Amino acid sequence: MQAPEELEPTVRIRELAKDKVNFVLENVDLAFANSFRRVMMADLPTVAIDMVEIEVNTTVLPDEFIAHRLGQIPLLSSNCDEAIRYTRDCTCLAGCSFCSITLVLHVSCNDDNTMNVTSNHLEVTPHPEDQEQQADPGEELSKRGEYFGHPVGKNDPNASPVLICKIRKGQELKIRCTAKKGIAKEHAKWSPCSAVAFEYDPYNKLRHTSYWFETDIKAEWPVGDNAKEEEVPRDDEPFDYTAKPNKFYFEVETDGSLSPQEVVMKGLAELQTKLANLIYGLKTQTQAEIDIMNEPQPNGAGAETGAWGMPASGPPAVPPTSAWSGGASSQWGNTSPGQRSTSNPPGWGASPNAGSWSSGATAGWSSPGQQSNGWNV
Amino acid sequence: MNAPNRYELYVLEDGEKPVEVIEDTKIPNAATIKILKQDHTLGNMLRAQLLAMPEILFAGYKVPHPLHPYFLIKIQTDGTVTPQILLERACTKLIGTMSSLETKFKREFSYKDVEGTVGGVTSHLDDPYGGTGTGGSAWSTGRDYLDL
Repeated sequence: MQAPEELEPTVRIRELAKDKVNFVLENVDLAFANSFRRVMMADLPTVAIDMVEIEVNTTVLPDEFIAHRLGQIPLLSSNCDEAIRYTRDCTCLAGCSFCSITLVLHVSCNDDNTMNVTSNHLEVTPHPEDQEQQADPGEELSKRGEYFGHPVGKNDPNASPVLICKIRKGQELKIRCTAKKGIAKEHAKWSPCSAVAFEYDPYNKLRHTSYWFETDIKAEWPVGDNAKEEEVPRDDEPFDYTAKPNKFYFEVETDGSLSPQEVVMKGLAELQTKLANLIYGLKTQTQAEIDIMNEPQPNGAGAETGAWGMPASGPPAVPPTSAWSGGASSQWGNTSPGQRSTSNPPGWGASPNAGSWSSGATAGWSSPGQQSNGWNV
Repeated sequence: MNAPNRYELYVLEDGEKPVEVIEDTKIPNAATIKILKQDHTLGNMLRAQLLAMPEILFAGYKVPHPLHPYFLIKIQTDGTVTPQILLERACTKLIGTMSSLETKFKREFSYKDVEGTVGGVTSHLDDPYGGTGTGGSAWSTGRDYLDL
């Protein structure tokens, strides 16, 4: 319950390349920075091969092995929000041009040398049912870029393609793949990021971690480059246990399916969407509650439970004796066993050592950033 | 064979309510709010924001089981506002922070694009992302997906 920080968050991009961005984020909460990291890794939609029909496979690799490798090839997914639908939201039965991209691969080796089958052999082809099925109005196709759904680096002579398998003379691989939109919470192949580096407090002044060492902690744990951004702590500096992390070092590295700009901007947009949906859910929930309260309740229980929020004769902010005791070992839930023994509800505040809701003396609710008894407080 | 669809972890089912407020009958001005199909990403951020607000007495969240796609956030206020209103305020505050960050990121990216035309970002590939206006140099001048 600290004073609200009114400092505006700041950001400084230290390095921007085709596939990665390195930036420093300041004046935000650790939880905020971590949510930003999480959302960039796991909540942004991309396209990836999700279904593979194998017509001929005389290579040494089994079908499922090749299918698995194909799934992990990054495909250009820029503007995925508008350019493609999720198959589960689409009106089609099992994939159409609005919700999928078809790629074919047909390679055979007639050479004495070993041949590499790579992502460059994958060709995007128009959907077969396109001609007869144009009744569905959709603007997705017009939002697609020229190379939407193509394997990353296919049109770039400098990029080395992704190896799918190696074949020798007489072997053949003929497959048809369907790429679909998805997010990394379903499968990591949909993640636009190959890595997100996240660091704060390079000198470990906050003691959020402890380093194992043999003889000399400083020699065995050299500081990284990010330490140049921070003040070197003196050896006799007292431990500031109220200090909070404030400066976060990110490096977002993408697999090429989205640009780093798009990953960062869409990450922020996605977080806002999540919060906006929550606000909307809260508003509609309150409305539903009012509707229920206005209905006559035959057993008379409605009024009491419905109006829980602000009791008219409410207790003072910190009731001196009852449930909320405040103080250093602030526990909520009256944990005196005598009062609870008769009516133990399944859930909150049972006996001190039984339920996950109750808190012992050492695991107080107030300890920030720690997981105590299952609650992250 | 009977595994549930993976998207059930993050997509609300038909008619499923995203938010459920469970009032606390034993503690004044407290409520537990169950938020479906969301995880630590939202829960931890909200908890931290709530703790930074002056009206809060308690805020904590938990994901009771990793296979159950929801989290609970327990909020107790000092009585001047209800927990729901405080949660809503926290969301609004966070959205404000994000949009200000968004502007700052955009500005930073546009500076970098100017430098990038010399020899960094966009020089060796004319448009690696297929020219929809979201990749490379289009950010500084052109329309992007955030312009509605």
